[in-house]
Amino acid sequence: MGMRTMKRMPANAKIANRLFVAAAGLSASSPILFLLLITGIVLVQSIPALRWMGWHFLTGITWNMGSVYGAMTVKNGVTAPAGASYGALPFIVGTLASSAIALVIAIPISLGTAMILAYRVRGVVKSALSIVVELLAGVPSVVLGLWGVVVLAPWVSSALGPFLTHFGPAIPFLKGPVGTGMGLLTSGLVLALMVIPIITATTRDLLERVPLHYREGGVALGMTNWEVVRHICLPHIRDGMIGSIALGWGRAMGETMAVLMVSGSAVNMLPHNLYSPISTMAAVIADQLDSAMTDASHMAVHALSALALVLLMLTLLTNLAARLLVNRSRGSRRIDLGVRV
Amino acid sequence: MMKSRTAGVALALSAVIATAGCNAAATGQAPGGNTAQNAAGGGVSQATTINETGSSLLYPLFNGQWIEAYRSVDPNVQITAASTGSGTGIAQAIAGTVQIGASDAYLSDAQMRQNPAMVNIPLAISAQQVMYHLPELKPDQHLNLSGDVLAKIYQGQIRSWDDPAIASLNPGVQLPHQAILPVHRSDGSGDTFLFTQYLSDTSADWKNTVGYSTTVSWPAAAGGIGAKGNDGVVQALANNPYSIGYVGISWLDRATQQGLGYAALKNKDGRFVLPEKDNILAAAQAGAAHVPEDERVSLIDEPGAKSYPIINFEYAIVNTKQPSDMAAALKKFLTWAIDPKGGNQDQYLAPVHFLPLPAPIEARSQAQINKIGG
Repeated sequence: MGMRTMKRMPANAKIANRLFVAAAGLSASSPILFLLLITGIVLVQSIPALRWMGWHFLTGITWNMGSVYGAMTVKNGVTAPAGASYGALPFIVGTLASSAIALVIAIPISLGTAMILAYRVRGVVKSALSIVVELLAGVPSVVLGLWGVVVLAPWVSSALGPFLTHFGPAIPFLKGPVGTGMGLLTSGLVLALMVIPIITATTRDLLERVPLHYREGGVALGMTNWEVVRHICLPHIRDGMIGSIALGWGRAMGETMAVLMVSGSAVNMLPHNLYSPISTMAAVIADQLDSAMTDASHMAVHALSALALVLLMLTLLTNLAARLLVNRSRGSRRIDLGVRV
Repeated sequence: MMKSRTAGVALALSAVIATAGCNAAATGQAPGGNTAQNAAGGGVSQATTINETGSSLLYPLFNGQWIEAYRSVDPNVQITAASTGSGTGIAQAIAGTVQIGASDAYLSDAQMRQNPAMVNIPLAISAQQVMYHLPELKPDQHLNLSGDVLAKIYQGQIRSWDDPAIASLNPGVQLPHQAILPVHRSDGSGDTFLFTQYLSDTSADWKNTVGYSTTVSWPAAAGGIGAKGNDGVVQALANNPYSIGYVGISWLDRATQQGLGYAALKNKDGRFVLPEKDNILAAAQAGAAHVPEDERVSLIDEPGAKSYPIINFEYAIVNTKQPSDMAAALKKFLTWAIDPKGGNQDQYLAPVHFLPLPAPIEARSQAQINKIGG
């Protein structure tokens, strides 16, 4: 009896172990598989639209599904409704511009908040503030979008926009007209709200991990708070900062619903000032997929896939570039970590 | 209730992925997929489940009225509904993931050639009004507008409210010297389909440069904005004085409460008419005269002194190739839905501001329903 159990156990254990290894391997490879699968599908789906448009897909300004209820035409070996033209430049510019504005606003605010959270407050206040920041990250984007439409856009239109136009003579992009408040600036503000918690939370953790004796050393040298942060903490966390900013940027470029609600959904035009209606790649995909499905040639769906491909590439490149930067700075950091005042 | 809705949404999502991902809809007619769905949906009990997705305008009628009412008509049939947009409804009906694709627009000729087994069955009549935010006007005052003037506004050729073209339609009305802000739907929409059809029918220039569809390439010259959904358009109009836009009839009350006015539109006979029940019915009666057998037809700009110019059929897009059980259940439900003593009763249609099908149309729709499974 005992012998039999002894004999069987290793066999069972072997099978269990094999299953475990297989399951773990499958789980571990799933991120790669999914990424490859999604990229592959998006790429294959994009090809007809890229053949139809060529490089004009990236440089064209006219986005027109063509006469879906009319006749079809053939160009470059692919079929699409007559008049179809898929120029994605306004959406690419809209995506980059709105996410850039979001970062310009979010980085200093996040850094300031993170420093306060890491170094200035203690106990209940600290945990309360931290919770609030994390809660902000949890606000569904459609709620921010609603707030953007009802509160923020009218405020941008009646107060913030007119105020910023005073700087128009110095910075032409700030010149009026301000318009409805549905546009680039409001999109950037809403996106900033979404990005701030991401950058703040990561930066706070990074700042807390700066060894205490580094900071104490700075203080002992007679540095002010600002000098300690500027010359000791920030260089120490630079790698992680870049990573968290890239993370936030990716989020801002991919955000769909809130931007869709406040962007003014401009088509066929590039933004001419800070208040212009815009549209982003993600918003256009969400907006137009339903209509695209009524295109019997399926070219409209292919065009939206091509848009998805550009968005995917941009976010992947952002992440990759951030990682390269991080790796490069990691190599040299240990050597010249010394303080330069 | 909750469960079936979740299931509908899940189905919708999977079909969206399938359609976008692997061109399932391209090949059309997938009766295999259909059977699989039914087995999955109704396999537990003997009951049949009819899945509906599509138009957000038709959704409240299905979800709020018909599903509940039909339970007492045929307890063996379960109906699920999801609001996904007309285009998704059409794509899913073609792919066979749902049995009824609800749509504000009929299939194009190209889609019919690819999918000859599909039928477009009108279920009810809907309409649309043109709304504006003019603080100077009294609440009961309606501007007169024509398709030609609206086309020029959306093309950026008429830019101010006191433009002579608008003033000449509205003698005696003090129009403000303010820039017009045209608002359009940014998402694919049956409302855009109707509005741009009205503009195409009344302005040759619009027809040649922009045309009509559920999404069009809006001229940038007008400097307007896009907003998502009827709610988004109403909000954008309410936020911005001197704006103009188009809104589905079921939103009329909510929009006027926000201080928006709506226009009397110029019809084919040159009269300016309001989107009132009598005028919509008059247009539907006039349209009934020329509805073809497959009922794919625009009801825009019908003749007659009273006819309101922007009305349409709300369609059920159905694949006639169905397994016999499903065909029987579908026929019974759709027959009930268009019956003036069944689903077309005022008590169901009035809450969503739809109007019943005129009698000749009901007969046409019935003939199409009879094709299912046959």
